[in-house]
Amino acid sequence: MKLTTKLALYNGISKIIIIVSIGAILPLVISNVVYDHIDKRLTARADRVFKMVERGGINEIILEQDCSFESYNILKEEFVSIEPIQDNGSYGPKPDFGDEFISIDEEIFEHRVLKQAFLFDNQLYILKIGEGLSAIEELDRSIREFTFWLTIIVILLSITADTLFANILLRPFHAIINRKLKPDEHPINFVPEQIRSGTDEFEYLNKSIDDMLGRVRDAFLIEKEFIANVSHELLTPISLLRSRLENLVADPGFPEEKSIKLVDSLKTLDRMSKTIRVLLLISRIENKQYLKDEQVSIVAVCEEVLTEIEERTTEKEIEIVKQWNDPDCKILGNKSLLFTMIFNIVSNAIKYNKQAGKIILTLDHLGHDRYVLSIEDTGHGISQQHLPHIFDRFKRFEKQQGEGYGLGLPIVKTIADFHDIEIDVSSESDQGTSFNLIWTGSESV
Amino acid sequence: MNYLELMNTLIVEDEKDLALEIKEFLTGQGYQCDIATNGMSASEKIFVNEYDFVLLDLGLPDTDGFTILEEAKKNNIPSAFIILTARGAIDDRVKGLDMGADDYLPKPFSLIELQSRMQAITRRKHGLQNNTIQFHDFELDIQNRTLSHDRNEINLTKKEFDLLHYLILNKNRVLTRVQLTEHIWGDLLEEDNDSNYIDVHIKNIRKKMSVAAPVDWIETVRGIGYRARK
Repeated sequence: MKLTTKLALYNGISKIIIIVSIGAILPLVISNVVYDHIDKRLTARADRVFKMVERGGINEIILEQDCSFESYNILKEEFVSIEPIQDNGSYGPKPDFGDEFISIDEEIFEHRVLKQAFLFDNQLYILKIGEGLSAIEELDRSIREFTFWLTIIVILLSITADTLFANILLRPFHAIINRKLKPDEHPINFVPEQIRSGTDEFEYLNKSIDDMLGRVRDAFLIEKEFIANVSHELLTPISLLRSRLENLVADPGFPEEKSIKLVDSLKTLDRMSKTIRVLLLISRIENKQYLKDEQVSIVAVCEEVLTEIEERTTEKEIEIVKQWNDPDCKILGNKSLLFTMIFNIVSNAIKYNKQAGKIILTLDHLGHDRYVLSIEDTGHGISQQHLPHIFDRFKRFEKQQGEGYGLGLPIVKTIADFHDIEIDVSSESDQGTSFNLIWTGSESV
Repeated sequence: MNYLELMNTLIVEDEKDLALEIKEFLTGQGYQCDIATNGMSASEKIFVNEYDFVLLDLGLPDTDGFTILEEAKKNNIPSAFIILTARGAIDDRVKGLDMGADDYLPKPFSLIELQSRMQAITRRKHGLQNNTIQFHDFELDIQNRTLSHDRNEINLTKKEFDLLHYLILNKNRVLTRVQLTEHIWGDLLEEDNDSNYIDVHIKNIRKKMSVAAPVDWIETVRGIGYRARK
């Protein structure tokens, strides 16, 4: 989840909680205060009624004929009633407050009612003074409604404002990430750049990333120079030796039978220079000196390899089976490296195959950007104990007639890693070996 | 190959012994050779003399070989430049060819390969129209890469043709398997350094050609390699 989204969510939720709790508590507090006021008012009125009774007797209020009194104001929001009751002990002299639904003229009103018993002329009367509560309910509802809309408006405003602010605040952060940590940019081309930001943390981040990338770049440069130096220092003397030996071989005065030794030395020299070149190739790939910006058709590269290697397959009478299930598949990569990779696998598939064996090349589209190229042979296979080590450098399992230098599969592995290709090798003794190259998608087009 | 006579060549190489070996070989092939062991003297010589070839090492003690090439191209020096380098940086080849070099050979190179590249450049520069080579009773069409005998085409694969062509270009000279492998496979790096494939190719070439006429002139030199004798 994005930081700005998180911040906005956090702010939104915290504001909802605050406002909802205010919305819940505020009506309670308000109604308490209001009830308190009403109760005080009712008590004051009751006092006035008692004073009237004391001064003029109850008959002043209650008419003879009906022995009780009831009075409403015209909006039925207030009433006063006095009625004689039997003393059954349930009424005390203390005022008693309560909410009552009272129906007046077939309408029901909720009232706050004060009930207080009093004795007059040995007759117990009950005084009820009521005040309508509809105003309070109205107020309560208004407050709730107001709180609800306020919540929504405040949340919308605050989320918008927070997001805007967070975006502005994070602008330098995005600038640092986008400009400096581009995945396709080689660190060797890194140039430190001041990204303006008023935030100390981002200044620090910027500086740290600059320092780090600077160190990475220097390490790459040093290694690149080292590789070039090793290359020059080793290949120049080999070149001298080679020219010297070739001149000797070419010399017509040089006895032919002695030339054999020179030719053998030339062969050794060739092996040496090849080993150096392979090691340099691997180092250069690991040093990321190669580009992978070409649209490469896997099928086209395979066909090129097969053409290049045609005579070897013919010689061994090997049948090539091609199953291009997605012939138009193109991936982003370095064509000559991919060629070298596939060439080495196919070359092994021929070398370790049986006479009149088979090589099956299959290209499958696994959906999305995932492709699998599998190269299967019907050869001797690789034993289970060797299988985990086939990509180790300079590992040679069997003594062969040829002069392999044990670096063919390490080249394959290095090139595959460079292209984010997974390699899955399975093998069965005397059944054959199968190399599955899986393009995981990140490099595909 | 009389057009090769008196070809002037400048060898720009700071490793003096290597320069001398190249000189020895090329002199034997009828080239006139000068040596420059640093960039300064190389620049001087390139401007004073009109060389047909400049063999240019990139890693010189005082200058970068590219600087010399750039300077020469800016001044319309007509010499053909072949870059010889042990630096082996990936973009050197492309950069060199873009800057107007005629060819590029990574060290360690074969002297025979160097000479055959020089011959190819000469042919190209002089616009030699003769694109066929007669050898014994066979005719090689270099343009179309075909081999024929009495106008009957003999079907060779691309590699077989290249191999035969290389042997014939260097007739009467023993070519080792390493040299032949390098010529037809280039600097492709693979697990199998086994040059026995050359034997397979030669076997096929002999088989295909001997249907038309005897090919005992393709000689096997035991322990060394092969030779096209004339």
